[in-house]
Amino acid sequence: MIASSFWLPPDISTHGSTIDLIIEYVHWFMVVLFIAWGSYFLYCLVRFRAGANPKATYRDAKAKPSKAAEVVVIIIEAILLVGFSIPVWAYYRSDPPGNDKNPLVVRVVAQQFAWNIHYPGPDGKFGATKPELVDEALNPVGLVDGSEDPAAADDYVSVNIFHMPKDRDVLVRLSSKDVIHSFAVPLLRVKQDAIPGMEIPIWFKAEKTNEETQEIMRRPFDLPESAEGEEAETFVKENRLRITMDEYAGIPAGMTLSMDHLKTLVDAGVTSVDMAPGFPVNIQCAQLCGLGHYRMKGQMKIYETADFEAWYADAGKEEVFDEDDFDDEEEDEEDE
Amino acid sequence: MSSDHHDHNPGFISKYVFSVDHKVIGVQYTVTSLLFLLFGFTLMMIMRWQLAYPGESIPLVGGWLGQYLVDNNGVLLPEGYNALGAMHGTIMVFLGVVPLAVGGFGNYVMPLQIGAPDMAFPKLNMASYWVYFAGGVTMLSSFFVPGGAANSGWTAYPPLSNIANTVGTHPFWNGQTIWLLAMVLLITSSLLGSVNFIVTIIHLRVKGLTMFRLPFFVWAQFVTSFLLLLAFPPLEAAGVLQLMDRVFDTSFFMPSGLVVSGVVQEQYTGGGSPLLWQHLFWFLAHPEVYVLILPAIGIVGEIIANNTRRPLWGYKTLVYSIIFLGFMSFVVWAHHMFLTGMGTAMSTFFQTTTMIISIPSVVILTALLLSLWQASIRFTVPMLFALSFLPMFAIGGLTGLPLGLSAADIQLHDTYYVIGHFHYVVAPGTIMALLGGVYFWFPKVTGRKMSTMLGHLHFWPSFVFMNTIFFPMFMVGLAGISRRLWDQTEYVQGIDVQGWVRMSSWGAWGLGLAQLPFIINFFYSAVAGKKVDANPWKATTLEWAAPSPPPHGNFAEVPVAYRGPYEYSVPDAKEDFHPQHVPDTQLT
Repeated sequence: MIASSFWLPPDISTHGSTIDLIIEYVHWFMVVLFIAWGSYFLYCLVRFRAGANPKATYRDAKAKPSKAAEVVVIIIEAILLVGFSIPVWAYYRSDPPGNDKNPLVVRVVAQQFAWNIHYPGPDGKFGATKPELVDEALNPVGLVDGSEDPAAADDYVSVNIFHMPKDRDVLVRLSSKDVIHSFAVPLLRVKQDAIPGMEIPIWFKAEKTNEETQEIMRRPFDLPESAEGEEAETFVKENRLRITMDEYAGIPAGMTLSMDHLKTLVDAGVTSVDMAPGFPVNIQCAQLCGLGHYRMKGQMKIYETADFEAWYADAGKEEVFDEDDFDDEEEDEEDE
Repeated sequence: MSSDHHDHNPGFISKYVFSVDHKVIGVQYTVTSLLFLLFGFTLMMIMRWQLAYPGESIPLVGGWLGQYLVDNNGVLLPEGYNALGAMHGTIMVFLGVVPLAVGGFGNYVMPLQIGAPDMAFPKLNMASYWVYFAGGVTMLSSFFVPGGAANSGWTAYPPLSNIANTVGTHPFWNGQTIWLLAMVLLITSSLLGSVNFIVTIIHLRVKGLTMFRLPFFVWAQFVTSFLLLLAFPPLEAAGVLQLMDRVFDTSFFMPSGLVVSGVVQEQYTGGGSPLLWQHLFWFLAHPEVYVLILPAIGIVGEIIANNTRRPLWGYKTLVYSIIFLGFMSFVVWAHHMFLTGMGTAMSTFFQTTTMIISIPSVVILTALLLSLWQASIRFTVPMLFALSFLPMFAIGGLTGLPLGLSAADIQLHDTYYVIGHFHYVVAPGTIMALLGGVYFWFPKVTGRKMSTMLGHLHFWPSFVFMNTIFFPMFMVGLAGISRRLWDQTEYVQGIDVQGWVRMSSWGAWGLGLAQLPFIINFFYSAVAGKKVDANPWKATTLEWAAPSPPPHGNFAEVPVAYRGPYEYSVPDAKEDFHPQHVPDTQLT
């Protein structure tokens, strides 16, 4: 709650609130300490300036209050460490969801500059992969043919779009096929380096779907007075990643504003529209990975359980690396 | 140390260029590193344009930056951004701050403060500077080779750094390979310097100058030298290994099965570990943080004692704290690597050591603050810089806490929060302290004082702009924006914080302008500043016993230390300062 005053993005994960709490407590601790030091500092500068105190005192000031302050600092740091950080880390890093929790297990293979999300399909088994089979367009993770490994037959690889259900543990086996990347989803409070040669497990559970997240992130935007000119162009450019949440002046909900839309809205006398990010939950790369680092962006599609099952059933049936399918995803990206 | 070899009259070149005199070498280091600081900062001012106004042509210099940095319209390229970023970090740390703090101030001031005629190994000292100079020239040359300068970050993580600058470049003379060669030279230079410092401090102290009568600045240099000596060799080794990977296709850092842009990397046999580099790198680079900060703390201590006119509070506590800091700095390195797949045991160890290392930092800050109590504070220009160090170093230190707690680090790791944090330590902290040191010791080096008015014109805008640049980064980081993004408006959160990003950029350009009074002051005062006597600040330590500027061999007669370094405002004394070299009989 107060965390929003610390500029953190909304949290839609089950474990994220514990991380936010630590961040919040540490910052209050920092603020109190800084104000205490700062007030003392400013008081000294004024009270003991040469003009007010021409003769300094030779002997050392008594240090009892400062010793007490140091002890308090040590105690608070110990509490933050033992009471919060270590347990949260232990939960987050050493306790992967077991089979009893029926996690969705997914391989994520990072590459310059995309996220390959590899689903095992209905059989729940990942097909074998080989580096020499990698084809950037058709077979980004180098999956073997279904005839060689039956487990590969129903596998599905999604590029840059991570489909997942809400309210179910997702266990990601994270790796990279070229350089080090970092799989960061700020809204899920997830970040983990993807390191070639290693497969690192991470897990998380979303509490909200994309639509529910958009509702949280929905806020009004004042439209510019004119639909032409620099201000209007800037407005459209700055909101290119957002969509309208309701129907305005005949423009249906879910649209990205264009200059034409803006003209329609301004002409109809609309002064403010509610918008939210079109893809509210982004995967960012957090580790410098080359010239495309800034655009190594993925999107989460978080569904209700039934919707996810429906999508997954269909996805599994498709030809694994259908060229059209890959093109569709490229288009998806551009649509946004 | 017979005086006869000081009497000869050397020619211009051996006196001012290939000099073995620690003072000339100190000035060479100072001027060279200040130029590198300005250059490294200029790179950042260019990058800040792209961040504030993504995809717009860079004004003024856009057309001059060449094909590896900008496109035909003068817009910074993503790979150009990465190159400037890598070079900014490298230049500021290895060619700017360390050489200024250690090579510049350490070389000039430390021998004077211990009453020595020179460093223990003057030729080694000269070699150290010239190897550094060669490293700097080598580093700069990489801007002009095909493919441009190194662009894999100052951290140079493989496999990225191993495969970078390999397409359309010379197999040897390319950005990342030159970076590695330059780093090997710079590390060698630091090692030569650190051995010299340690021997000098142990062996060349004058009579009466026991270890606990050393000025705090000398202690800071002493601990710093040990950090350099022990931490740099692993990086030198790592640099050579990466050089082998790049030039001879070895696989020290290359795992099996790499596929880059659809091409299997068959030239590598594989089996290497990318994380090995990170361990070797951070084993240097965390102690390196203290190499940057300790000399600055030493300078601040000197200036505060002098301008509060009372002994530094808890001198011995300060000394023990920096020794403890030095030890601890070797066991915290993996807190830079929490997100490389670390389990609970490792992360518990490293976050615990990280919390422990914050304690001596708090003690140091507290001691410096307590020194202000019942003082008689003179707000001289060096004092303004030293005082500004305290709150800004505090912000830098405090914001390290959430990064050191591994759970909070999950959200903040590799975001702008980290950039804000370490810059508060190194830029508003260390660099402000170093600038204070320039004002403080300028009269010793030149015999003239820097202009106070220009000093104020330098200090106040710098103080304001430092905070304008770095404070907004905490908000940007909390919003979840990754560092090293060429265009953060790819993300909707990036657009939301664009106002803060622009504020940082305007702050950076303002800070650039605010250095003009300093540059003018530096050169003007060197030739036409007000002439002052040997001890214009009424200070106590031995460097003020030498004439200004000190001649070759430093002291007219070898001083003797009669007391501790900060005997200010001794009760019932005539003067409010008792210099270390004046015997009691002359004071009463």
